[in-house]
Parts: sequence; C-alpha cells; structure tokens
Amino acid sequence: MQELVLVQPGRTVGNELEHEAAQADTRREFEERLAECGPLAYRVARGVLRNTADAEDVAQEALLRAYRRFERLRDRNRFRAWLVRIAFRLALDRLRSGKRRELRDTLWSQPEHQPRAATAEDVAASNEFQAHLESALDELPEKLRLVLLLAAMEGHTIDEIAAMLSISTGTVKSRIFYARRQLAEKLRCHANTIKTR
Amino acid sequence: MPCEHYKNALIEAAAGGLDPGGELRAHLDACASCRAAFEQEQSLFASIDAGLHVTANAEVPASLLPRVRAGLDEAAAPQRRWFQPWVFAAASVALVLAIFLFARPHHSGPDDQAKQTPQIPVSEPPTTDAHNQNSVPSTQIVSSNVNNSQRRGRSTLLRAVASSQPEVLVPADEREAFARLVATLQGRGDVAVALVTPSSDAKGEPASLKRLQIDPLEVKPLQGTQSEESDGAENMR
Repeated sequence: MQELVLVQPGRTVGNELEHEAAQADTRREFEERLAECGPLAYRVARGVLRNTADAEDVAQEALLRAYRRFERLRDRNRFRAWLVRIAFRLALDRLRSGKRRELRDTLWSQPEHQPRAATAEDVAASNEFQAHLESALDELPEKLRLVLLLAAMEGHTIDEIAAMLSISTGTVKSRIFYARRQLAEKLRCHANTIKTR
Repeated sequence: MPCEHYKNALIEAAAGGLDPGGELRAHLDACASCRAAFEQEQSLFASIDAGLHVTANAEVPASLLPRVRAGLDEAAAPQRRWFQPWVFAAASVALVLAIFLFARPHHSGPDDQAKQTPQIPVSEPPTTDAHNQNSVPSTQIVSSNVNNSQRRGRSTLLRAVASSQPEVLVPADEREAFARLVATLQGRGDVAVALVTPSSDAKGEPASLKRLQIDPLEVKPLQGTQSEESDGAENMR
C-alpha cells in the first residue's frame, strides 16, 4: 500500500523546505565541531564527576543542549567556551544532586574505574594519592577548579584558556597558582604519609 | 624542618614552578633542611600536576559521539511528533467544517459556486467577473434581505476556510515534485490559469475519438483460378 503524506502547499514550499534546509545546515555545522568539542565536554565533566558513566551522560546532555541552542549563538567562535561552561555547570549540578552518588562510589571502587597512575612506580600509593587529589579538587572553588582542569588538559595554552573564559591571562595564571597551592595544602599530609610508609 | 623565615618563600617558589633566585637560592645552597623541604614541595607539586593530567585527559569513551549523534536525530524527531497531531487535528476540523458547509441545504447560485471552488493564488482574468455577473439571474439579484444576509454570512465563513492553508494528500515519493509544482504555480499565474481553463476546441463537450473509417471489403475471384478450372474440365474430357 502506497504511503500518503499530508502536506500544506502554502506552507510546504515557502517555510518547511527552508526550515529543513536551515536545520540541515545547523546540523552539519554542529557536527563539524562535535569531533573536536565532544572530548572537551567529556573531560570537563569527567574532571568534576570522576566517573566515566556520569561524565558521558553529562557530556551528551551538554552537547545536545548546545545543539538545541546552537542557532542562538551569535559568535560561533565562542562555541568551545560556551560548551565548557554548559558541561561544567551540568557536571556540578549532577555532583550536587547526589542521586547517583552511591552508584558512583560503587563504580569508583571497581578496578576498571580506577584512574591510571601517573607513573608506574608504587601504583598503590599513586592511586591513593590520586583519590585524595580528586577529593581535594572537589573542594576547590568553582572558578579555580575549571581553570585548573582546562590548564591540565592537553593542548590548552594560558592564552586559549583566557580567551575561552573571557578573562585576562594574568587572572588565569593567578587562579592556577592559587588552585595548586590550595591542593598542596590539602595533600601535603597525605603525600608525607604515603612517603613515610 | 625548614627555617620558618623561608618556609612560605620556598612553597611559593615550588608552587610557581620557578627556580628560586637571589636570597632564597643562597639560603637553599647553605641550608640542607630547607633544600630537602623545597625538594619535597617540588615533588608534591609534580605529583599534583601528574594527577591532574590523568584526571583532565581521561580517555573519551568510543560510545560518546554515536550517542550524541543518536540524540541529535531524536532532537529533530519531537518537532515532527508535535507537528503531526496538530496537522491532523487541523485537517479534521477543516474536513468537518467542509462537510457541514456542503451538506447544508441552500440555494446555490453560480456566484456561490465560484466562491466554493478551490482557490489558487493567481489573479483571474477580468472577463470571469463580467461573465459571472451576466449569468446571475435577475430574480436572485432582487432577492430578500434574509437571503442576502445568509449569503453574506456563508461567504464570510467560506472565505475563512479558503484563507486557511489547504491540505492535500499526496504519495510520499511525490511530495517534493508537488511542492515544486505549487511553487511554479505561485510564480507563474498564467500556467495556473492554463491548467484550470478548459480547452477552447472542446467547447464544453466531452472529448471523443474520431471513428476509424474502414472501406467495405470487396471479394473478387482470383483470375488464375478460373483458367485452372477450365483446364481441368478439358483434361477430364
């Protein structure tokens, strides 16, 4: 049986085809950015949430939210900064909601979800230090945390982070400095404990 | 234990990732305790940086981008889901209204019929109006006020229906071709008029095929057959 569709000639020609063409353009433009910016959204979320599954959910949500509002973004060069903010905000919300905290902690305790050690030496101590580091990271003020995460990501220079967050390079440097110092204050005792074992 | 006077200076030097200079450098060269504390701070910050690098550069799951692309497809779908019931609701209302209007008993003159015909957005030739005015019987022109008011109300209703976007059912694979046809008709009024105007040759009569003319068949005896028969009769003799 032949499939029939209901069309409005007046609408179809003028509006619908143009609308579909505009949607296709938006989709194509967005997908061009997706391969580059998808990992960025994931890593920002992962830096906050410390959990692969949650970070993937949040990155997906951030990217879809960015897509739905993509047409409203006037300066497309600001897309990365915009996406970083969306992902960071969503990740913080997810972290605070606490709905999946139990599940996250359970998953975190499983070996496949443990972070990889920075060095091969003393894996147990490194993992313990890593856990303390990420806990300390959670306690940092949001502004410091985001700058520190972006600075730790490969391929981000101080100038790029400043442009991304619309702040001066001096502000970026000072935030990194204070963030690292606060982390060091929280971790100094743990580092000493691990070393003295 | 580092010297209290240099404690903050060496922590800040380690936090900044800079080589200490000046007075601090000279003190570190002289004081083994502060040198050890400074190395410990440097080690701590190196560990923090390494840990941050691990956290910030986590491997992206291969499923992320396919999931997002699937989400993009779904993001487009709800608009159609929302749009379809709306279209069908509007079509149903239009259909019910059309049935009501056509099923309602009324004396329809040629003027009304002209209003009820599907409207294509083209300008009609000026002769059409003159023709319609001439064809309206004089009894209807001098009709009562009641009839006029009824007609006025009905024509307003019809105009409202005609002004809404008409909906057409077309085969799915002919949708684009139909859209192109409508676009052409909107741009070319003369084509639209030519399509809906009956051919002048037909003069209102249905088209008929010209009968095929076949000449009557004439059966003639073959000339050779007669001579053969006579030859045979001679041989018999």
